[in-house]
Amino acid sequence: MWRYVLLRLGVAVLQLAALAVVVFFLIRLLPADPVARLVGLNASPEAYAQSERALGLDRPLIQQFAAYLGLSAAAPGLLQGELGRSWVTGEPVAAELGRALPLTIEVVSLALLASLLIAIPVGLVSAAKPKGGVDRAAFVWGLFAGAQPDYWWGLLFILLFAFTLGLAPAPLGRVDPLLVPPDSITGLILMDSLLQGRFDVFLSALHYLALPVLTMVFTVSGAIVKMVRQNTARALQSEYVLYARACGLPERRVARYALRAALTPTLTLIGIFFSVLLSAAVTVERVFSLNGVGQYSVRSILDFDYPAIQGAVLAVAMVALLVYLLVDIVHALLDPRLRG
Amino acid sequence: MVSTRSGASVSSRLTAVRSVAVYVGQRARHDGLFLFGLLVALTVLFLALFGELLAPYDPREATANVGMPPPPLKDWPQLAYRALTGQLDAAPHWFGTDFYGLDVFSRVISAPRTDVSIALGGALVSLLLGTGLGLVAGFYRNWATGLLVRASDVLQSFPVFITAMVLVALSGRHTGNIVLALCLVYTPIFLRLTRAEVMGQARHGYVEAARAAGVRPWIIAWRHVLPNSLVPALIQLSVTIGFAIILTAGLSFVGAGVQPPTPEWGLMISQGAGDLNYGWWWPSVFPGLAISITVLGFAALGHVLEEAFR
Repeated sequence: MWRYVLLRLGVAVLQLAALAVVVFFLIRLLPADPVARLVGLNASPEAYAQSERALGLDRPLIQQFAAYLGLSAAAPGLLQGELGRSWVTGEPVAAELGRALPLTIEVVSLALLASLLIAIPVGLVSAAKPKGGVDRAAFVWGLFAGAQPDYWWGLLFILLFAFTLGLAPAPLGRVDPLLVPPDSITGLILMDSLLQGRFDVFLSALHYLALPVLTMVFTVSGAIVKMVRQNTARALQSEYVLYARACGLPERRVARYALRAALTPTLTLIGIFFSVLLSAAVTVERVFSLNGVGQYSVRSILDFDYPAIQGAVLAVAMVALLVYLLVDIVHALLDPRLRG
Repeated sequence: MVSTRSGASVSSRLTAVRSVAVYVGQRARHDGLFLFGLLVALTVLFLALFGELLAPYDPREATANVGMPPPPLKDWPQLAYRALTGQLDAAPHWFGTDFYGLDVFSRVISAPRTDVSIALGGALVSLLLGTGLGLVAGFYRNWATGLLVRASDVLQSFPVFITAMVLVALSGRHTGNIVLALCLVYTPIFLRLTRAEVMGQARHGYVEAARAAGVRPWIIAWRHVLPNSLVPALIQLSVTIGFAIILTAGLSFVGAGVQPPTPEWGLMISQGAGDLNYGWWWPSVFPGLAISITVLGFAALGHVLEEAFR
């Protein structure tokens, strides 16, 4: 088991390293001019050259790469765990990401948890009773909500629940602006407010997170239902279920065997849909003006802020890989065939 | 394609086309989902070609009416009648006008030229590239194709939306660059699907028989294995077109796609979001509805294809 975990960890680190290298060279190969973006179009050639030197963009690519990795003695780099400073704000990228990332993780995890809580029972029932009412409803839902523009549904939900019905707060951040926010311990506002016994903040944060989470659940649950249903149907058609039935085991017992076999592949869905939701966070955070890593990456990309782009991509990929890793480990614990 | 060698095969091909058409006609009559998907797909294709010509107002030119709500639904038949018989001085603003006085209806029906052609282009090129590379990678298994598969794995591990944003924003926000970004994001999916299918096909007896008969490998791959391995990719195509429309509109929604005042659904939603503050729902609701229905149509087509081939 430990060998398996170490192996998967090694692969994840390699993937992350490959990603870091590819992103570094990719953004420098694309024909963007970050210096012109920073100094403006009317800057004198001297100002342009000075800014280029300050950003280190006048040096050869390979030297820039060495500096990014932290191989040159001048400043720490990626190998020392430093992501550099943002070209726009001048702040360390790692610190900015440290503020943005928890919010995204909070929204995405809540949305995934809610989706699974809805989708797994629905998927199981619809596979157990094909062509039944639940199955038909699940089919229509999967077809309809399998692919829908989350940014538009988010707006509709705001229009309906916030502006018309007044059930949800206007989409302006993560907590009531009149409340004093709790001290940041984990950065996850729900966790922080609970740790400090601030139930008013906890409830307000839940209230503010309701619509973004609803938007994500709406656009992602259809696909999850579809996949859970497929996995369960496959398990029910398998030979060991046939065998169990042939032995005359009661249907409840057969269902229990099938359930375990159906839920293990569903675990893999957690990894897949976590990264799907991380992508969705970019547009959903925009709709609800949440300052998470999605908004951070939009800002840095539109500003041609290379260190921030590299940091954001790495952070998102690292979270996704970490979730995949955890899922794989749990999967291997449940299914001994995978340990190899 | 394989060249036609005789008149007989031309006519046999015509018969094949006719029988496909008959099949499609029959299915459309019996299967509501298929009919819906077909209608949606044909409508958006039609609008991509002619939408801008049919638009009552210039989709890029502001009118004097700012923030005008759409006429109430019960007046529509009467308005349509009077508009068609030429009794109105100016065409009605069916979907209202936005903050700049742009006619929402004209922009919604002009947008497929941007959204649908980008999505179709990206999906089709990805299909061609992905199946081609997947065929090679599945049929010839050596270090070079192994490297190709690894590279596509790395590409697939990138966060999709952020990757597309980086590619488009840094290489210039033009339609061509958006198509390229879509290709980079979607080709690995087709590659993976086709490769898996080709590897499965290669185990079949007909491949061995062709080998034994001395048919050259690339002919086996091209003429025999490829047609048998296309189904998963074709099903995926329909779904991918839908996702590509959402992604294209999403890019301009966050400001990393096509530039205003291009009539484009995502851009309209993004600008219309601001109009919600004045209580104007129509500038953002109608373009979103267009995306929603279009994507649903392609999803329905994909589902029907999947059922038909199973």
